[in-house]
Amino acid sequence: MSEHTTTGMVTVTIDDVTASVPKGTLVIEAARQLGVMIPHFCYHPKLAPDANCRMCLVEIEKMPRLQTSCSTQVTEGMVVRSSVPTVKQARKSVLDFILANHPLDCPVCDQGGRCDLQDFSHEYTASGTKFVELKRVFQKEYFSPVIETQMNRCVQCLRCVRYCDEVMDVRALAPAGRGTLTKIKSFGVHELDCEFCGGCVQICPVGAITSRLSMYEFRPWMLKRTESTCGYCGDGCQMTFQAKDNDLIEVNSTLGVGRNNGDLCSRGYFGYHANVHEDRLQSPMIRCDGELVEVPWEEALAVVAEKLTAIKSANGADAIGGLIASRCTNEDLYLFQKFMRVVIGTNQLDSSARYGHMNGIHALQRVQGTHRWSMSFDDLLSANAILTVGTNLTETNPITALKVKEAVKRRGAELITVEALEPAIGTISNIALLSTHHLPLAPDQFASGTIGLLKAVIQENLVDAELVAHAKDYIDAIKKQVDAISWTDIEARTGLTAEIFQDSAKVFTRAERAVILVGQGVLRSQGGYGMTLNLMDLLVLTGKLNRIGCGLAPLAEENNDQGSVEMGAVSELLPGGKDCRSREAQQSLEAAWGCSLPSGEEGTLMDMLGKAKRGILKAMIIVGENPIGSLPPDSGIEDAIGKLEFLVCQELFLTDTAKRADVIFPACSYAEKDGTFTSTEGHTQAVRKAIEPLGESRPDWEILSALSVMMDHPLEYESVKAIGKEMRDLMPGTRTLGPSPLPPRPCLDTLTQYLQEGYQDTLATRYCLPGMKATHTFVLNVGQSIFHSGKFSTRAKGLIQIQSQGVLSMHPEDAERLGLACGDGVCLENQLGQVKTTVKLSDRIPCGVLFFPEHFDQDIQRLFAVSVDNDTHVPYFKCAHVEVSKAS
Amino acid sequence: MAKYEKILLKNMEQPGYTGSLKEYEQTGGYQAFRKVCEGMAPSDIIETVKLSGLRGRGGAGFPTGVKWSFIPKDHPGPKYLCCNADESEPGTFKDRQLMERDPHQVLEGMAITCYTIGAETAYIYIRGEFWLGAKVLDQAIAEAKKAGYLGSNVLGTGKTINIFVHRGAGAYICGEETALLESLEGKRGKPRFKPPFPATHGLYQKPTVVNNVETLANIPHILNKGAAWFAAIGAPPKGTGTRIFCLSGHIKRPGNYEVPMGVTFREMIYEIGGGMRSDKPLKAFIPGGASAPFLTPEHLDVKMDFESLAMAGSMLGSGGITVMEEGTSMVWAALRLMEFFYHESCGKCTPCREGSSWLVQTLQRISRREGRMSDLDLLLDLCKSIEGRTVCAFGEAEVSPIVSTMRHWRSEYEELIREAEAAHPVKQEIPVLSQI
Amino acid sequence: MTFYELAMGMKVTLRHLLHYRPITLQYPHEKRLLPENYRGMLALLRYDDGTEKCVGCDLCEAVCPSRVIRVISAEVPNEPIKRYAKEYDMDMTRCLFCGLCVQACPVDALGMTREYEWAVYNKRNLHLNKEQLLAIGDRSFPNREKRLEFQHPNVAFFNLPFPGQPLKESQTLT
Repeated sequence: MSEHTTTGMVTVTIDDVTASVPKGTLVIEAARQLGVMIPHFCYHPKLAPDANCRMCLVEIEKMPRLQTSCSTQVTEGMVVRSSVPTVKQARKSVLDFILANHPLDCPVCDQGGRCDLQDFSHEYTASGTKFVELKRVFQKEYFSPVIETQMNRCVQCLRCVRYCDEVMDVRALAPAGRGTLTKIKSFGVHELDCEFCGGCVQICPVGAITSRLSMYEFRPWMLKRTESTCGYCGDGCQMTFQAKDNDLIEVNSTLGVGRNNGDLCSRGYFGYHANVHEDRLQSPMIRCDGELVEVPWEEALAVVAEKLTAIKSANGADAIGGLIASRCTNEDLYLFQKFMRVVIGTNQLDSSARYGHMNGIHALQRVQGTHRWSMSFDDLLSANAILTVGTNLTETNPITALKVKEAVKRRGAELITVEALEPAIGTISNIALLSTHHLPLAPDQFASGTIGLLKAVIQENLVDAELVAHAKDYIDAIKKQVDAISWTDIEARTGLTAEIFQDSAKVFTRAERAVILVGQGVLRSQGGYGMTLNLMDLLVLTGKLNRIGCGLAPLAEENNDQGSVEMGAVSELLPGGKDCRSREAQQSLEAAWGCSLPSGEEGTLMDMLGKAKRGILKAMIIVGENPIGSLPPDSGIEDAIGKLEFLVCQELFLTDTAKRADVIFPACSYAEKDGTFTSTEGHTQAVRKAIEPLGESRPDWEILSALSVMMDHPLEYESVKAIGKEMRDLMPGTRTLGPSPLPPRPCLDTLTQYLQEGYQDTLATRYCLPGMKATHTFVLNVGQSIFHSGKFSTRAKGLIQIQSQGVLSMHPEDAERLGLACGDGVCLENQLGQVKTTVKLSDRIPCGVLFFPEHFDQDIQRLFAVSVDNDTHVPYFKCAHVEVSKAS
Repeated sequence: MAKYEKILLKNMEQPGYTGSLKEYEQTGGYQAFRKVCEGMAPSDIIETVKLSGLRGRGGAGFPTGVKWSFIPKDHPGPKYLCCNADESEPGTFKDRQLMERDPHQVLEGMAITCYTIGAETAYIYIRGEFWLGAKVLDQAIAEAKKAGYLGSNVLGTGKTINIFVHRGAGAYICGEETALLESLEGKRGKPRFKPPFPATHGLYQKPTVVNNVETLANIPHILNKGAAWFAAIGAPPKGTGTRIFCLSGHIKRPGNYEVPMGVTFREMIYEIGGGMRSDKPLKAFIPGGASAPFLTPEHLDVKMDFESLAMAGSMLGSGGITVMEEGTSMVWAALRLMEFFYHESCGKCTPCREGSSWLVQTLQRISRREGRMSDLDLLLDLCKSIEGRTVCAFGEAEVSPIVSTMRHWRSEYEELIREAEAAHPVKQEIPVLSQI
Repeated sequence: MTFYELAMGMKVTLRHLLHYRPITLQYPHEKRLLPENYRGMLALLRYDDGTEKCVGCDLCEAVCPSRVIRVISAEVPNEPIKRYAKEYDMDMTRCLFCGLCVQACPVDALGMTREYEWAVYNKRNLHLNKEQLLAIGDRSFPNREKRLEFQHPNVAFFNLPFPGQPLKESQTLT
């Protein structure tokens, strides 16, 4: 961006229009800016020029021959002609060549109607061809489940190959063969096996690579476009739903729109079918004699209103709790917390941000006094050093991973990866291969890794000079802590020597702009809050916390984790991320709402479950969340839900939790409602209704609003916009669509307070190394797979075709030691139980670690114990130590 | 035969010469390199080579000294030298002999070039089929390393020069310098678009010189005997030195002949080559490898140097002269070459990829006697659409046999088509898609 | 003069009186001779091997001025990446018989028959599905075309090479 502005502008004349454009602009780009469309196939703004299609030939004065405008940079005084007869003749001849072997199957091609080749043919060539020989025909070798290639249609622009390499860093595709028999192939005589980002489908200018999911079900002119936001991970990708007859046909993304800038991941591109799955609940149900029966809305609402009112008057408001999924829109979340606080009158409410994101939020609030990143998504691109800790970036936040890849590959950023990942080449990309310093750790030892980095910073005197001057106590306290930990202990836990920590710390400290990405591996594992605070300490010690473009970024797993925090849908925070105990915040909210806030104690998810087990909590309203599916049996979740007197669920599907409900309201998915999502960086983006709600399902806010009316505390809004207006009045800046807001700056008062005394109370607990596993055991880790997000995506038929079941991943060396082969049954055992599953060999994960995707197979949950963080009440249940044996 | 003094082939024509280091040293080998290492400034070497007028022997004939001077002098990081030994032009076989029979001559040239441009690593990209050449070079490199001419601290100068032999996998296009670099990097051998040129962004995006084997083999001799000596040989000022020509086709004595630039084709074919094989009159000849346009007997008195041939409408190219006697079908000759180009088209850019298959299919149809008169215009049209619109020079090369045979022997095409029309008057009109 | 005018005026009447040739046809006992290019009931056609011609390209639906046609296309079951019309409905109550759909069809799968006796008691009976349209085609167009793939080598992959299709000569061209 800044390259151009510093080197000035040049004047260029294209087709008699003169303008000045930044130096270094390609002729084709300059022409586009002047409104001259130069036809092209191989050129794409995201890719390095390849100049192979020869379609964009133009005449440039003082240059011999015609030049390709996609690879020529403008120079001062350049005169370009793109509509003279020689140029037109050249384009016509190139089209003649391409059409010679191109089949005449436009009527059956899914690209027909939006095909570059079709458009240019209409413009430049007469009908008919001089080609009378036989056309080349490729026979198909195999059919892919989701991405279909039809090489007869290929124009060999190699956009797909280059995209796969340059942007995705996957390299799943390559041209094979020579001359006119060249075809794009994946490796091996089997179907494509890759990240399935769908980028090749989207970038193909013709119909050579198409999506199999909606194949032949539509013609482009039938589709209704709706710009919306992806509902899978916290990256907040902008995408376009294409719907036909109230059915979702496909999803696209647009270059230049949103943070993803035209890229999507497999979940975004192939996961849309989850919204319109046939198992969707389509009418309200109530439990009659133990069976769930469908009833009209009026009846179901009346039952709930009556029952909740009765419980409230009999047992007090605090006998009712609420839980909401962070997949809901901001408006749903806002209304939910308002419903709980005003209509019910309790502070017993929580959202699924509790599963991990709250750790990051609390750490940010504690040290820098914000509930958002103090850097923006774009700062990733301009960073000189990026430290990722426990992110498994490619799989959990694929678009953030693309930014990191771009920062490393195009802009030369140095990448330090502290991950449970081995730098192995595989079918999906691996950021460990891009990193300058890679610290492979077992998933339960990220704490040792961060302490190692801090120890290296202290030991190598990398502490910021300014900090030394005014926060000596703080530094001494940390020094005392890390000095008590020896390198030998760290090495025993991490297998890494002091040198690599020291080198990484030097790289990190040296960087002008340094960013720390914190992922689920940290936020959701034992001591996640402490680890995040330690990483904040790393920023503070190296003097980067308050520097522009630096910061710590906790990555959200669910699309609206950040929104649920900002909307106050967690018990300890009020809307705007304000502390619920702050009298000031309470008063302003009471003034706005015109009622008093509940005075009862806060109740987080685990508190509520404890109270339910003890019979204190009588009823729960669960919106879109499935705690029975998410929490392991060790948490006593089944017991707690079972003891509830009354359970209301607002759900898309009949989940494990919904099966226990007394009343189920059918909610509609994000494709059927308007609203907003807030991405991890705090950017509020619009969600728009692409199709009408299925059956009788309604948006969550409408259900809550109706319920509030029936409970005599009307929270009535005519539309989501009205809720949005209330939110905006209450929290200035919220729900303002458009470009992302400037990131907040760290609050200096909070920082000063932290440096003086704030750090002290947790110091001893967070600066200690986690225990070691016994040598014969394995660290079993459940986490996200690249193809799924939560349990929702397992309803998407495309994603299920890519990955249909959970298989335990194990390093080949471990497998060899245990005499296991790919596909063998294994038995996992620890003190909590025994589980059988199948094993798959993967050299991506370190030795001694087992990985299981969390989306499948509840059974494996039995092996995990739950522990709750003392400070943030986050339940930790992602790691367990198990013994592995071959199943008979 | 002894009319002209030989430079490159001199040693190997001595009876019993095996090309070992010892024998090469006895004939004055590595003297030039020693002289260079004694402290010649790189700029002086470049100046000498510029003065000698040495031009690239690979085909394009770019002045070697000028090419070297493009290498940025103060570039931090590595620079590379690549010796282009992917001699795959049909009718050319000179580099093979140079490498197999006198490998040290090439290595010395490479060592001097490395010294001049400041490269520590050099690669010889040798054609996959030249297994013997690769073996001989490997042995020679080992010998030279032992003798201290290569490796670290060469001849006590503290400089490092390492040469590696890289065998290609048999693609014609890898003889194109940028495709060669891609292939050397381990990628698919496809030409890059220029600019940037290899001199600044070559192998691994580092400054790189790519020179032909014969060019490099000339370097030691120029430095030994001086630029003026070399510049006086041949047809100064533009065509200096000797050139190895590869005679093949319908000729009595095919083989490699080293003659000064500027000898006429008549002398080359009838005196040095011994005349036509069966004493039939000459019908056509290709003066510079398969990609050079055909010439007719009236061009026999053209001198064999860059400018004269360009004026005659052809090019000196790689120096492979293929001679065809009376009675050869020029359609067949063009088809044969076209089939080669069709097979070797890499498929990167559209005109060459699709054009080569279109051309070869049309030519095949004409030679099967199924052509039509309109095909001739189509052929020329296609050639015009390919020429000058491709990424690399392959486009020009692949149309040259058709364009030149069409220019000189169009009647042969017409005759075949007339036969076809007479034999299949009904089937003459091949259905066109729009009529179906 | 007057008589002449009268005679001329009566000439036609008198001629028809003597040479009686009725214009009115005794429909349905008698039927009109239809012109060559008569545009009657629409029909879907088949190839000579009985397969449906329609590839489900939706172009007829796109071109139809009165929205008669509704096509739901899909992949042929058990024949991957081959397209066909899973459902093909025509609401003939609205049809103008303009023939644009026939012109638009890239595979000549639609034809206009010479049938016109389509009066029905229930309008719903004019809502024709694919089977009905094919049946009309079967009875009106007994002469069927050869399968497109066999007509000319260069249109052979209009839909897709079907299983067992031999390799083209050009594939072995080297």
